[in-house]
Amino acid sequence: MANNYEFTPEDLKEIETIKAKFPEVMPATLPTLWVAQRRFGHVEPEVQHLVAETLGLPVSHVHGVATFYTQYYKEKMGKYVLDVCTTTSCQLCGGYDMLHYLENKLGIKAGETTKDGMFSIQSVECLGACGYAPMMQITNDVYVNNLTEEKLDEVIESLKADKMPEFESVGMPQHTERS
Amino acid sequence: MPEIFIDGERYEFEGKPKLLQFILDNGKEVPFFCYHPEMSAPANCRQCYVKVGTPVQNRETGEYELDENGERVIRWFPKMQTSCSMEMTDGMVVHTQETSEEVARAQKDTMELILINHPLDCPICDQAGECPLQIQTYKYGPEGSRFEVKKVHKPKRVELGPRVTLDAERCINCTRCVRFTEEISGTHQLTISSRGDKNYPITAPGMEFDDPYSLNTVDICPVGALTSTDFRFKARVWEMNQTPSIDITGGKGTNVDLWTRDNLVLRLTPRYNKNVNTHWMPDEARQAYRKFNENRISRPSIKADGDNQIKTSWNNAIETFAEKLESVKPADVMVLGSAHASVEENYSLMKLFSTWGVNDFHFSPDVKDGFGDNFLLTDDQAPNTNGVKALGFNEISTDDLKTAIKSAKVIVLLNDELVDRGVLGSEDLEKPFVISLATNETETSKSTDLVIPITCIAEHAASYVNVEGRIQRSLPAKETKYTHRKMDLEMSEGRLDRYGTNFDNWVNEDNKIDCTPTWELMNNLAKRLGLSVQFGSSREIMDEIASSVSTFEGVSFERMDDENGIQLTGITKEEVSA
Ligand code: SF4
Ligand code: SF4
Ligand code: FES
Ligand code: FES
Repeated sequence: MANNYEFTPEDLKEIETIKAKFPEVMPATLPTLWVAQRRFGHVEPEVQHLVAETLGLPVSHVHGVATFYTQYYKEKMGKYVLDVCTTTSCQLCGGYDMLHYLENKLGIKAGETTKDGMFSIQSVECLGACGYAPMMQITNDVYVNNLTEEKLDEVIESLKADKMPEFESVGMPQHTERS
Repeated sequence: MPEIFIDGERYEFEGKPKLLQFILDNGKEVPFFCYHPEMSAPANCRQCYVKVGTPVQNRETGEYELDENGERVIRWFPKMQTSCSMEMTDGMVVHTQETSEEVARAQKDTMELILINHPLDCPICDQAGECPLQIQTYKYGPEGSRFEVKKVHKPKRVELGPRVTLDAERCINCTRCVRFTEEISGTHQLTISSRGDKNYPITAPGMEFDDPYSLNTVDICPVGALTSTDFRFKARVWEMNQTPSIDITGGKGTNVDLWTRDNLVLRLTPRYNKNVNTHWMPDEARQAYRKFNENRISRPSIKADGDNQIKTSWNNAIETFAEKLESVKPADVMVLGSAHASVEENYSLMKLFSTWGVNDFHFSPDVKDGFGDNFLLTDDQAPNTNGVKALGFNEISTDDLKTAIKSAKVIVLLNDELVDRGVLGSEDLEKPFVISLATNETETSKSTDLVIPITCIAEHAASYVNVEGRIQRSLPAKETKYTHRKMDLEMSEGRLDRYGTNFDNWVNEDNKIDCTPTWELMNNLAKRLGLSVQFGSSREIMDEIASSVSTFEGVSFERMDDENGIQLTGITKEEVSA
C-alpha cells in the first residue's frame, strides 16, 4: 500500500523506547497507535499499515487492535470528539437524551463530523464514571460529568472558543461525608 | 499412573493432557466451539464448561484428606472451568453435563448468550446439517430465548478473498479462522475487528484473504459464517454422498472426501489422516471436482478425416486398437504409463503389453521445481510417481521422449496430459498412431488418433503412492454407465440411494460417463488379441501386485483401509526428486 504518512525521527525514537519496555513487539501495538494518533489525529487504514510496518507486525493484528477501541479514530475526526456514554447507568440517567440533544444542536448524527471539522459525536460504552451519569468525554481527555442541556450548551460554546472545559473534581459520596 | 475421575468413572492418563481432548478421546462428549485439536486453546466460546475439583492433600505427608465416610475431600474450583484449557492433574474429579445439573444449566445459558444475535438462517444456511451450533443447540441448548429484542444485523455477504465469503451475522467469534491464519498457514491475513456484538473476522483494510489454504477456514468454522464462494448454495449437506478418496492434484496424497449428488462431484473436503495432511488441504486441490465432472470423455472416439474426431462404438474401438497392434511389431510400440494414473491401471497396462511382447515401459514425470511449500503442496504434480516407478516404469526425459516417439509406430498413452503440460507439442504426435486412454478432453486427447475413455479416481477403487512412499486408495464415489451403487461392493450407499425414489429429482440417471476402468479395457483387448491375461476387480489386482512386485509386498485394500494407508519400505523421499 502506498503510504502518505510518515513518522518523524522523534516518533521513531519514541517507538523504539516503547518497544524496549516489552519482551516482545506485539504489546507495543497500543502505545504505538497512540503515537500515531497524536501525530496524525487519527489511525485510518493507511496509518494502521504504517504502524504495522514500523513494528514489523501483521497489518491484520494492528487493524484488530485499532478497531477494538473506540478511543482510536479509524477515520479523520473533528477537532473535538464528543464521546457520549450510553451504557446502562448513563442510559438510565438520560444519556440518550444528552446524545440526541447534541445531535440536534450540531446537526449531525453519532458517528458523524460537522462540516466545519470542529465536532464529531460518538456514542460510546461505559467510561467508568457511572457515579456522575450521564457523562461524556472530550477527545480522549477531559470528562464532563452530570450532563444537562445547559451544561452541554456551555461546553460547546467554550469549545468553539477553543477552550477545553476544566477538569472537574467530583468527590465520592464517602469523601463528601468525611469532609 | 495419574488418575482422573470423570462422571464417577476412573481413567488413567499420562503426560499433561487437556481435559476436553481427553474426554473426547475417551468417547465421551462435552459441547464446544472454539477448541480445535491442532491449534491453541483461547477458551473464548465458554461452551465447554465442566465442574472440576482436586483432592485436598495434607501438606506435610502428601496424603489425601478423607471425610468421615473415608471418601477423599474434594476442593471444587469456585467457578465452572473451560475443559478445553484445563490441564489434568492427578486425582482430579470432573462432572460434565451428564452428571451435573449445574453444568448442564451453565452450558444451556452460554448457548442462550451465543444465540442472542444469531440469525435464524438454518433453512438457507450452507452449514445446516453439519453445523456444530445447530447440533449442540439441539442437544444441549435452551428451548427458547429470553432475549426478545431486535437482533443486531451485520453484513451478510463479505468477499473476504477470492474463495471465501463471510456471512458476519452467523459468526460466533470463536477465532478459529483467525488462529488458522496465525498458527497453521502463517499468513496472518485475518483478525477480529471491533468488539462486543459488532465484531466479526475481516482482513486488514486493502488486503485480501487469498491464503492458499483459505478454504480450510470454511471447514473449521463451527457455523455457516465462512462459506466457500464456489460451493455456496449449491447443495444441502444431506443430499450428498460422502466417499473417502485421495487428492490427485499433487504428490502429497492428501486424504479427501468426495461429496456427490446425481453422479456429480460437488465439493471436496479434507479427511483426517494424522500421517499425511491431518485436518487440512490446499485450496487448489478442491478444484479437482471440475475435472471429475467437466469435459469428460464419454464413449470412445476415433480420428476420421483430417483432425476431426468422431464417436465410435466400444467394439470398433477395441477392434481398431487390436488391428493397429497386429500391424506392427512389439518393438515399434511405445507404451507410456502415467504418474497421474493409479497403481492398478499402470500395472494392468504393463502386464498386458509385456505379455504381448513389449519390453520397455516409460513415464514422463510431472514435477514443477519450487512449487512445493513444505506443507501440503509438492513439487510433484502427480499423485502416483512413486507407484508407477515401483512397478518398473522408467522415467523418461522430455528430450528422450521426443526422440523415442520419432521411431515409434504406435503409441499407447495412459492418462497423462503431455501436450497440455508442455512436454510434447501436438505435432510430435502427428506421425505415429496414438491411442490414448484418457478421462478428460484435453489438447492431448485432441491430438490423438483413438481416444478411449477410462474411469477417473471418483469412479474407481485404486491405489496411489505419494511422495513419501505411502500407498493409499480411493473408493468409487459416482456411477458410470456400467456401474450401479447397489451392485458395486466398493461403493457406499448414501441416504439418497436408500430413501430416494425415481420420482425424486436427486436420484436420476444423468451424468453417468460412458467409460471403463483401464483393467477392464485390458481384459477386452487381451480377449481380442488371444492373450491369456485376465484381471478381476482392482482389489484382486492389488493382491496380485502384492505377490509379484516386491515393493508392494503385504499390501492389500483391507490393510490400506484398516491402517489409513501403508508406508512402503524401499521408497524414500529423496528418490522422488526426479
Ligand atoms: S450457522 Fe448453524 S445454527 Fe446458524 S443459521 Fe447456519 S445452520 Fe443454523
Ligand atoms: S467466522 Fe467462523 S471460524 Fe471465524 S470466528 Fe466466526 S465463527 Fe469462528
Ligand atoms: S455507564 Fe456511563 S460511565 Fe459507566
Ligand atoms: S471450547 Fe472451551 S471455551 Fe471454547
